[in-house]
Amino acid sequence: MLTMLEEVVLLAVDEKTGRVRSTREFGAAYALVGAVFFDLALARKIDTCAEEIQVIDATPTGNPTLDRVLARMAARPDLKTVSAWIEEMFLLRDDLEGEALKSLTDRGVLRHEHSKLLWVIDVDRFPMVDNKPQQHVKLRLANAILTDDIPDTRDIILLSLADQCGLLGFVLSEVELENRKERIRTLSRIETISRKVTEAIHALDKSIRIAMTKVV
Amino acid sequence: MMEVTQETREDWRVVTLRGRADSETADRLEEELRSAVQQHPKVAVDLRAVDYISSAGLRAVLQAARAAQGHSDLAFCSLSAAVKKVFDMSGMQHILKIREELPC
Repeated sequence: MLTMLEEVVLLAVDEKTGRVRSTREFGAAYALVGAVFFDLALARKIDTCAEEIQVIDATPTGNPTLDRVLARMAARPDLKTVSAWIEEMFLLRDDLEGEALKSLTDRGVLRHEHSKLLWVIDVDRFPMVDNKPQQHVKLRLANAILTDDIPDTRDIILLSLADQCGLLGFVLSEVELENRKERIRTLSRIETISRKVTEAIHALDKSIRIAMTKVV
Repeated sequence: MMEVTQETREDWRVVTLRGRADSETADRLEEELRSAVQQHPKVAVDLRAVDYISSAGLRAVLQAARAAQGHSDLAFCSLSAAVKKVFDMSGMQHILKIREELPC
């Protein structure tokens, strides 16, 4: 089974060109940090309440990315809130997107092609070797959004992360998303981590706007 | 720790929870609720004595509600202040059937 982080990054890969629709912007990077926390939560390594996050089992999961984050969390019992940990991991992130792409390549889902544009600019593409996992992710998201059923927990989490990364537009049309925006909003706020990631993104947007206003 | 008791009142199966719904008790909580909704068409969950619910507990509740879809009427009743706060924050009232009191 793919991790949440891998599923979100896989969703960002253009199935026709192999280009990664960037999740490297700051806002989306917060969502990738959120994905790692969700992976740890689903592995029953951490748990959250309205504000706090706690490590409940520090034994490794076997996934290097998750274990790196888990070890760091276990070593910092002084950091207690979800928001503080989102900021901490955001500052320390070592290209979560890159690690997920490598893992997807190792699993045989993607192929890594490296080339140079005009002999200078590095261009990385990740064409699909097996498009079923991405189709599966898209289908689950579409079902979660378009039906009124209670989705599986993983799909609720995936939806909230894909929404924060701006990736739902690659699953459904603008009209469909507009028609179901209340449903998306409802599902996206269920989980504490999602809400805190959203708050972090909004705070970042606000500080960027303030900084831009000062520059102008 | 979580204590779970079940009894039948009128045509409802009443599941009473006491204690904490967290990562330690989430599996059992989900199992008990799933079992109730699979065997009974009407299930009321009494949450008045739940003093803490974490994200893991919330996921267990959601998974049980998912399992109930289409064949069991699952209602979450008499929410304690701690549970109500988390449910309100999560918008669970848009997804789950919530009642102020037990139906029976």
